Amino acid sequence: MAAAGYGRECAQVYASVRKPAVDASLRRLGVERLSIGDVQRLEWKALEAKIRRWIRAARAAGRGGFASERRLCFLIFHDLPISNITVTAAATAAAPATHDTPFAEAVKGAALQLFGFAEAISIGRRSPEKLFKIVDLHDALSDLLPDVSDIFAASKVAESIYVQAAEIRSRLGAAPRGLLSDFAWPLLGGPTKAAVPGGTVHPLTRYVMNYSSLISDYKVTLSELIVSRPSASARLTAEGNELAPSLAELELPEPENQSPLAAHIIWIIAVLEHNLESKASLYKDTALSHLFLMNNVYYIVHKVKDSPDLWNLIGDDYLKRLTGKFTMSATNYQRSAWLKILNCLRDEGLHVSGGFSSGISKSALRERFRSFNAAFEEAHRVQSGWCVPDTQLREELRISISEKLVPAYRSFLGRFRHHIENGKHPELYIKYAAEDLEIAVNDFFEGVPPSPHIRRRSHG
Amino acid sequence: MPATDSSSAATSLGRSFLSLRRDHIPPPSSDHRAASSSDLEIDAFHRHAADLLLDLLSDSDDLLSLAWTRRLLDSFLICLDEFRAVLFGVAAAHQPLDRLLLDFLDRAVKALDLCNALRDGLDLVRQWRKHLAIAASALAPSSSDHHHHQHAPLLGEGQIRRARKALTDLTILMLDDKDAGGVVGQRNRSFGRAGSRDSHSHAHGHHRRSSSGGSSGSGSASHLRSLSWSVSRTWSATRQLQAIGGGLTVPRAHDITATGGLASAVYTMAALLFVVSWALVAAIPCQDRGLQAHLTAVPRSFPWAGPVMTLFDRILDESKKKDRKHSCGLLKEIHQIERCSRQLMEATDAAEFPLAEEKDAEVKEAALELVQVCESLKDGLDPLERQVREMFHRVVRTRTEILDYLSRPHNAG
Repeated sequence: MAAAGYGRECAQVYASVRKPAVDASLRRLGVERLSIGDVQRLEWKALEAKIRRWIRAARAAGRGGFASERRLCFLIFHDLPISNITVTAAATAAAPATHDTPFAEAVKGAALQLFGFAEAISIGRRSPEKLFKIVDLHDALSDLLPDVSDIFAASKVAESIYVQAAEIRSRLGAAPRGLLSDFAWPLLGGPTKAAVPGGTVHPLTRYVMNYSSLISDYKVTLSELIVSRPSASARLTAEGNELAPSLAELELPEPENQSPLAAHIIWIIAVLEHNLESKASLYKDTALSHLFLMNNVYYIVHKVKDSPDLWNLIGDDYLKRLTGKFTMSATNYQRSAWLKILNCLRDEGLHVSGGFSSGISKSALRERFRSFNAAFEEAHRVQSGWCVPDTQLREELRISISEKLVPAYRSFLGRFRHHIENGKHPELYIKYAAEDLEIAVNDFFEGVPPSPHIRRRSHG
Repeated sequence: MPATDSSSAATSLGRSFLSLRRDHIPPPSSDHRAASSSDLEIDAFHRHAADLLLDLLSDSDDLLSLAWTRRLLDSFLICLDEFRAVLFGVAAAHQPLDRLLLDFLDRAVKALDLCNALRDGLDLVRQWRKHLAIAASALAPSSSDHHHHQHAPLLGEGQIRRARKALTDLTILMLDDKDAGGVVGQRNRSFGRAGSRDSHSHAHGHHRRSSSGGSSGSGSASHLRSLSWSVSRTWSATRQLQAIGGGLTVPRAHDITATGGLASAVYTMAALLFVVSWALVAAIPCQDRGLQAHLTAVPRSFPWAGPVMTLFDRILDESKKKDRKHSCGLLKEIHQIERCSRQLMEATDAAEFPLAEEKDAEVKEAALELVQVCESLKDGLDPLERQVREMFHRVVRTRTEILDYLSRPHNAG
């Protein structure tokens, strides 16, 4: 046909024959014809599946399908006398002979449909759960772009496809920036609701730390995309926020070569910390509020240590600070929960000097035993319902309590029990053996209300 | 001054919008409020939109040409930018604004799909142009004729046949897009009626020869049909337009004051979005083109209300004209394609060879016109397509910015 001067018709027929073939092969790969409106209406879970499928299809089409189409076109047209001269007799600005045009015509529709899906995703409303699939899509597109450039950019007609793909990639790349910047906003708090019962790890802590962990998994791409640190305005707004006046004063570690991504994560965790502190203040019982902080900061520390990438990102300094905070909370808990109880086992105040019976004030002693019992029983009742989810931490805490409590009680008992045993109703005062206490401590932090009475190995 | 109509314009949803010109409701900004600088900005925005529209209307000869349509889009993009400046420049943190903005964003997303469909439509026109170009090149004088212009060789049978085949294919192509037929949605049967029987038989004859191996006789235009729509079968421009403009209500005075006047700016921008979308659908071929959707009850107090209605009127008038009623798109150049193509087919109808000199001259003249149409299409299509794409981008960007704006906690909560 071309030889007879029917080059144009030839190109047309070729395109019209190849187009359905290309369209069909794209359909076979599972690429659907979805409008932007369709994509907006779908649930994110459904979209995730489609994104996965798209990534596979795009790889096949980009490297396989489109490339072989182009080869086919080349084989057929490359030495045919086709040209795209303008219609005017004076062929001044004659477009160069483009043997790619039939290919471009055959493939354009399919290519637009393919990239259209990625475009619809890139336009969608941002929300944190989308971050990682968007990065996946961005990465897949980035991988494809060199091939797309080779295949499409050669023809003027198809060039716009390459340009569009590159634009989509940029837009996808911008999304993580916004997502990360916006992530901390809801964490700045708002009216805090009821405290989580038992002082356990708050769901928010889990969510934020899991998210941070995932971010660190994706740190290769995210480090490239996130190029600016959390904005100064973010911290200034925190200042203006009545709920978070102290946030702006927070001095966050900023080592020399800290990447912007790291700065973001640290900011997010710092805001989480702050949020946790305000949640902790909701507890009426100070001991519980310290326990809550202890649990949650421990969780944060644990998550960081579990993920080398995350640890790397936030750095040793910040981790040290977090660990210190944890230790302080643990100590504060012990102090506020146990000081009063342990004070019952002190020596001071028991001795009476002078007079006939220089020795122990029996009434004071009895009072001591009574207070101790009541306080311990109360602690047992209440703190068994408290929660320390981490097994190891729970054990350590119990051991730590035991180590302070049991020897002190044993020593107290040893020194003063005979005074009571020589008096009336000793069983009212000496209710427990040291071993009983030890066993009882094991009930603590189970998160369940204990059996009504403390088990006693022996009576009296 | 139009007489104040006491009946509320907002309740007259059922009436044709044409009759609402006479209605008048109180102006959006109440007089007893001191005009703040944001009021002035918003008023300027309204006025500028009106001015741009008036400019477009003054160019009545060129209405719906490629160049005019580009200017329409230019104007839209200017307004969009001003809207953004007003929105982010005026400090407002008021509840009704968020709701209005979300509504605007919904409409904006619908416009995005429309932009994509319109890009396909323009591509279709490009395909039509290719057929024209074939016909034109078949009939074009070769360069050596320049010297012998007076005695240029008569057009041969082969050339005429080739040109007619290209034009017949074009006819079928333009017919074949069922859903693109005319404003009223009817199938385009009247196209080329003068030579319809002839072209039909020619078509059959040609298809026997030209169909590539494998296409059955009944699938006469199947190889051409494959060049059409890439939207799904259920997609409809009519529905899209209704989604963009439907339920767009004039902001209540209460909302306007609560948002520092921004509510009326949002309303204006949404209306402009609809108007431009509507005009584009009128002009460019797309699936299920229908122009029934309209804006309801635009208060005269908006300076752009009059120009918008005039624009609707003019385009509707054009769509009802005898020879445009069943057109695939109201673009002036499409009309030219139809006209030239028909003219050439008529001129070459039942031609006997060798051609009489008069006939030859007639055909050559028609061919020249064809060449001109090709040229203007070539110059105009790409830029318009780029503009449509630009509209897509800017709408996306505006949407992203507004979403960001909405997700930040407002100051002075």
